[in-house]
Amino acid sequence: MKNKNQERLCSFLLDNGIENLIGVPDSTLKSFIAQGLKKKKNIITTREEEAIGIGTGMSMSNSPTVIYMQNAGFANSLSTITSLVQLYKIPLLFIIGWRGYLKNDAPEHELIGKIQPELLKLINLESRIITDDNWEKNSIWALKKIQNGMPCALIVRRMKVE
Amino acid sequence: MSNIEGPVISANGHISRSLYSNCDKTSNFYMIGSMGLASSIGLGVALKNPNKKVFVLDGDGNILMNLGSLTTIGTIKPKNLIHFVLDNGIHESTGGQPTNSNQIALERIAKAANYVIYKTGSPTELKKILKKIENLNGPIMILIKILQNSEVGKRIEIKPIMIKHRFSNYLKN
Repeated sequence: MKNKNQERLCSFLLDNGIENLIGVPDSTLKSFIAQGLKKKKNIITTREEEAIGIGTGMSMSNSPTVIYMQNAGFANSLSTITSLVQLYKIPLLFIIGWRGYLKNDAPEHELIGKIQPELLKLINLESRIITDDNWEKNSIWALKKIQNGMPCALIVRRMKVE
Repeated sequence: MSNIEGPVISANGHISRSLYSNCDKTSNFYMIGSMGLASSIGLGVALKNPNKKVFVLDGDGNILMNLGSLTTIGTIKPKNLIHFVLDNGIHESTGGQPTNSNQIALERIAKAANYVIYKTGSPTELKKILKKIENLNGPIMILIKILQNSEVGKRIEIKPIMIKHRFSNYLKN
């Protein structure tokens, strides 16, 4: 996604009920995170699971929360997502940068990137891929999901390798 | 814990089971899975409920799985967060395997992470500490050296979704 649209996405979420952005930085989401920092709604954690824990405490306090991370961090967090977010039905909105979507991405992303869509399916976490063209429509979908008490994820693909 | 007024986030394993057996309240959030995250959940609750004192009931094994959380808490410095660590030096819930808290002083790590720290092994002293911290700003860690639990509490019979609902409703008031 273009930098400008990542910034728009961040502002759109904050204008539509999201009060906190918590996560571990990911280069694919750089502009999204920068915008969150600018708006002073951002907490950067040491690990993704920590972000999910903080977000859970905030969500239970009736404060809608986005958790952002790279797909590698999503893989780190599988147990926390299944045994906390899904078990207690915590409506967190995940934004996940997807490395390894392109075949020529860096080697550490190859295997985990390849199974990213399967991982989401296996744990039954509903998700949509967002692009420059559909981010607004899919953000509305995600905001509705969490309003209805369900966690969900928006996925941002890494479209170039530097 | 019966004298404590405020939300309590209790770590998974024997800690939550003991709390549930001895002092069940709607203000308790019992973790079942997600080991290590009690302090993080507590931070989230503390930040959104600045007028309530928020208590985390953690274990040595639990906090050792999420030491990074101490640095996040110590950076944000929530005034209303009180972090108990029940330290028996073992992973009691999984069969008593040793933790590193026998060799490493957790309170020194917490102190380096901007916590106000207390350490005790005596119930009388603990009462005094609880009195002392009443008007003190957090984050505060109270490291309590304990022996292995001789009686394991019953398993939590409340459904996780219900644990969340009643805790969330309690926070609204």
